[in-house]
Amino acid sequence: MRILVVGGGTGGTIVANNLARRLSGEIRAGKVKLTMLSASDKHMYQPGLLYVAFGQMMPDELYRDQASLLESSIDFHVDPVEQFELDKNQVKTKSGKVYMYDVMVIATGSRIVPEQIPGLAEGAETFYSEAGAVKMFKRLREFQGGKIAVVVGVPHKCPIAPVEVIFSMHDYFKARGIRDKVTIKYHYPIGRIHTIKEVATWAKPEFDRMGIEYETLFNVKEVDVKNKVVKSEEDTEYAYDLLIAIPPHRGMEVIEKNGLGEGGWIPTDRHKLTMNGHDNVYVVGDTTNLPVSKTGSAAHFEAEVISENISSIVKIGTPVRDYDGKVYCFIETGHDSATYAMFNYQNPPDLKPPSKPMHWFKMSYNKMYWTSVRGLL
Amino acid sequence: MNTETGTPVAATATAEDLHQLAELANLVTAARDAMSDDIVTRLAGAMSEGITLLDRLTRNEGLIYLLQELDRPENQHFLVSLANAFTEASKELATTPQAKGGLVCALRLVQDPGVLEGLRLVSLVGSRLSKSMREMHRHGG
Repeated sequence: MRILVVGGGTGGTIVANNLARRLSGEIRAGKVKLTMLSASDKHMYQPGLLYVAFGQMMPDELYRDQASLLESSIDFHVDPVEQFELDKNQVKTKSGKVYMYDVMVIATGSRIVPEQIPGLAEGAETFYSEAGAVKMFKRLREFQGGKIAVVVGVPHKCPIAPVEVIFSMHDYFKARGIRDKVTIKYHYPIGRIHTIKEVATWAKPEFDRMGIEYETLFNVKEVDVKNKVVKSEEDTEYAYDLLIAIPPHRGMEVIEKNGLGEGGWIPTDRHKLTMNGHDNVYVVGDTTNLPVSKTGSAAHFEAEVISENISSIVKIGTPVRDYDGKVYCFIETGHDSATYAMFNYQNPPDLKPPSKPMHWFKMSYNKMYWTSVRGLL
Repeated sequence: MNTETGTPVAATATAEDLHQLAELANLVTAARDAMSDDIVTRLAGAMSEGITLLDRLTRNEGLIYLLQELDRPENQHFLVSLANAFTEASKELATTPQAKGGLVCALRLVQDPGVLEGLRLVSLVGSRLSKSMREMHRHGG
């Protein structure tokens, strides 16, 4: 059986490593061939970008060579897919090669599209890329006081990020002794301060305690870079000295160009994690259109289900597990405390009070990620 | 919380027990205060690499086979003998005048029965090693 994993992010890497372990005998015997195609030879720990934006991590700490994270039995190529030919069970890559498969896992991820909002790319700081996070840190470092606006584009990766950046900024300016000179105003696109009701209920009194101003139902329409004003679809506006944005996201261009899913999100069965209408094509992580958060943890839990099912199909001819929508999000509530939100399709999150050990758990996870992505944790 | 007989646990605790609990709590607080993000990060980094290394080692069939071979006393004796031989040879080499080279020098060397024994050993090892490597490649190893 030829198994092809397209994409070497968190989801794709965990799927590939899990399969390599579960099917090691079959791979050795030549009954299974496992191939991964990726656009990069580097693997980035994306949640670390928030720490880079506050000077708590250096960019080089976020990277590992992709090959070093993969089991040696995985045939790995840096050769991104350009054409998906699902009717022929094959893909064509940038180099012109054709890869046939019996089972394919699409894990191409998502991308930021700040250019969708006029002025946002030029006028706002973001931390969704290495260059952006470093630039944002430099802007925060030179900031001596004034008004900071935080705006949120939708959809976006890591639903907790808007709240985390507020907590981090509050602590950052407090540590510099200029918190009283900084006004922080949070703008959120729906009628409460977070899409997850429980997080909104928990965060509101925290914002009040920290003196954070907030405005809900603020969908960013455009940024007047020259006059430093951000305007909303709801006809409100805010004059800022520093604008920080969670940029809107889309799925990868190759998904859209091949007509696999609107906005680059592939229609996916919420339990089986197969692409609708294609039982031999699995979708993992940000690439799905599932109503779960676009986070590494969702990709991780989905990857475990997918690899167990592909492996059981090879061994006994049938899948054995269903994805229950599980997501586990750490929430950094400042520079020395954190909490977490865990939820699934059936159960909403039950947030615990923030604590320092939980912050350390998150700091530890920043390192343990490499163990996790190798399929060990 | 009650014990089996229904007596509250708190009622059975002595002042000494409570004092010890307080000491433990102080210890935890002290450890917590002494920790920093850097320490936690370094510990987690070491643990992460350690787990990865352990995983690679425990799934390395060649290494497991080597460890099994090392369990055999004759192999342990062999390794000790090998280490001793290298130590003694290096000492002897350091005190022997440098060889001048040439055929006469080589002839003088092979007149030593120990050297001839050594050459025989090396040729026997070489013969078995080449046979074993041929087998390995024949089986796709």
